[in-house]
Amino acid sequence: MLQKENEISVLIENSRLLSPNGMNEFIRKLSAYYEVYAPIKGEKLVVFEKVENPQDIAWDYETTQISPKKFLHKPFEILFSFEDGGKIINENKDVVEKSQILLGLHPCDVRAIEILDKVFTKRYEDPYYMKRRKNSIIIALTCSDAHEACYCTSFGTGPRIDSGFDLLITTLGGNYLVEIGSARGREILSRYADALSTDSSILMEYHRLKNAKLEIIENKISSKMDTEDIAELLEQNINHPLWENLKEECLACGSCTIVCPTCYCFTIIDKVDLTLKSGERQRVWDSCMLLEFAEVALGVNFRSERAARIKQRVYHKLYSFEHQYYIRGCVGCGRCIRFCLKKIDPRKIIAELRGEPIEQ
Amino acid sequence: MSSSNPYMPSMVKIIDVTEETKDTKTIKLTFVDDEVRNKFSFKPGQFNMLTVLGVGEAPLSISSDPGEKEYFSHTIRRVGNVTGAITKLCVGDTFGARGPYGNGWPMDKIQDKNILIIAGGIGLAPLRPVIYSIKNERENYGKMEILYGARTPGDCLYRREYDEWKKIPHTRLLLTVDSVPEGMEWEHDVGVVTLLFDKISLNPTETAVLICGPEIMMKFSVQKLLEMGFKDKDIYLSMERRMNCGISKCGLCQIGPKFVCQDGPVFSYFELCNLTEKIF
Repeated sequence: MLQKENEISVLIENSRLLSPNGMNEFIRKLSAYYEVYAPIKGEKLVVFEKVENPQDIAWDYETTQISPKKFLHKPFEILFSFEDGGKIINENKDVVEKSQILLGLHPCDVRAIEILDKVFTKRYEDPYYMKRRKNSIIIALTCSDAHEACYCTSFGTGPRIDSGFDLLITTLGGNYLVEIGSARGREILSRYADALSTDSSILMEYHRLKNAKLEIIENKISSKMDTEDIAELLEQNINHPLWENLKEECLACGSCTIVCPTCYCFTIIDKVDLTLKSGERQRVWDSCMLLEFAEVALGVNFRSERAARIKQRVYHKLYSFEHQYYIRGCVGCGRCIRFCLKKIDPRKIIAELRGEPIEQ
Repeated sequence: MSSSNPYMPSMVKIIDVTEETKDTKTIKLTFVDDEVRNKFSFKPGQFNMLTVLGVGEAPLSISSDPGEKEYFSHTIRRVGNVTGAITKLCVGDTFGARGPYGNGWPMDKIQDKNILIIAGGIGLAPLRPVIYSIKNERENYGKMEILYGARTPGDCLYRREYDEWKKIPHTRLLLTVDSVPEGMEWEHDVGVVTLLFDKISLNPTETAVLICGPEIMMKFSVQKLLEMGFKDKDIYLSMERRMNCGISKCGLCQIGPKFVCQDGPVFSYFELCNLTEKIF
């Protein structure tokens, strides 16, 4: 009983309630000190962009097409530039100095950043990613709905989240319940926000509303991926006919890897200016779905077969990541399904490998 | 090497160039910066990322004796942009390098065993440091047999060193080429490298096998070795994959869950044949 009371007091102590005006004011103040990025309503899509006006924020957005990974692991960045004579200059030209706030990330995208953290810190620290990461404040947002393609519950990556953020916002009945997840979160909240209420009974009521909202979302996520013993399943099905069949479906366009919040593969290229002597070394996102991904000198290609490339992507997410980083590489955000031109669905791939009937 | 940024190459200077074949050179290098030079050491089978600014970067095995402290070498075949640019350079020229990367051959694990080296073409380059390591610490290893196959006699690497290798105690060197151009003298075998396997005198159960060459050559070598009774855990292969970073970040070099750049490039056949991605 005491423990329970203690938990409640911690919960209340870490919660604030903000009015719509209070939230807008909070974000406006943050924008003065940080680059604030949030889901912004565009003409057709909601896109993570710099906040110009807090009223443009789409609090009830469906998962975006491109994930907020783009603010940490840039689609394109300059590693360094070089001058004639081989002098290397300006190592970190492209890395932001000003701290950034990534606001409105759904739980799946927060978990995806935790996965990227492992990739970019294991064995060698990637200085470009890490500098941005350390300068980034994560303000998560509880989902307001679930899309048909959402399957975060299969990976425990949502819709509930209790870590990985500095602040967590839940929109409830027009107000904003804000929960503190870190000392940094507490600091910006106490410095820049005026709480509507800190009354414990009101806050408890909002936590009850949040729970009810989460239950509705959880129940709505009916489509799941059965992840039990998935490593064994994949080990045993390397030669399953499904892979050959999928190659007839897949266009090998790479869309799934671009929209995936945990895909990180990149290619390093040198771009030279007209002198052919000075230029930049750049890195750009690459995709294991593309033909050239595994090609080496003399045209030798270790994954020239499309089936091999599809398999690589599925196995990397659901098998290799666990060997490499002790974590699964999928957060169930559903982007690869929604933005696949052929609607190839990993949930169905796994179901088929399990010999389960496939709904069309 | 900037310790804070593993992507930054350091300047190396060419101190010697040896023409090996019509398309391959061995280039002796030393780091220009004293601190980097003094810190650099490598194990047989490791590689560097070599940089020509404006052209790009490529992973290349180190081919020199690891006991040499004054320099290190790369044996470079002109097959792409970076190797093409480097093989055009002369003594005194500079370019970039960072490394060494990778696990290298399991020199500790194979101590006291007989060593069977099987190389094809440019695949001899990452094995040359093994030959010199064994020469330097001859008492730590059993008998050594080196089987080397190339396309023609003119394509054989390190020909000037063969006499020296044969003088290493308890060492045999067996050579073969795919074909001999008319009028050329060749006193060794003709045919693929597996044809030399009948001449192997080492006991399969007490021998570690180190292989590097084209995948097709490695495939048939492994097949035949297993038939002969060599164990999959004693057969080591150095794998080639596309690499852009060398530090397990770019993701390009994966075979199943293994990063060739960091978990490899050397794997036992036992490791490789149990991966979720088929190698050959």
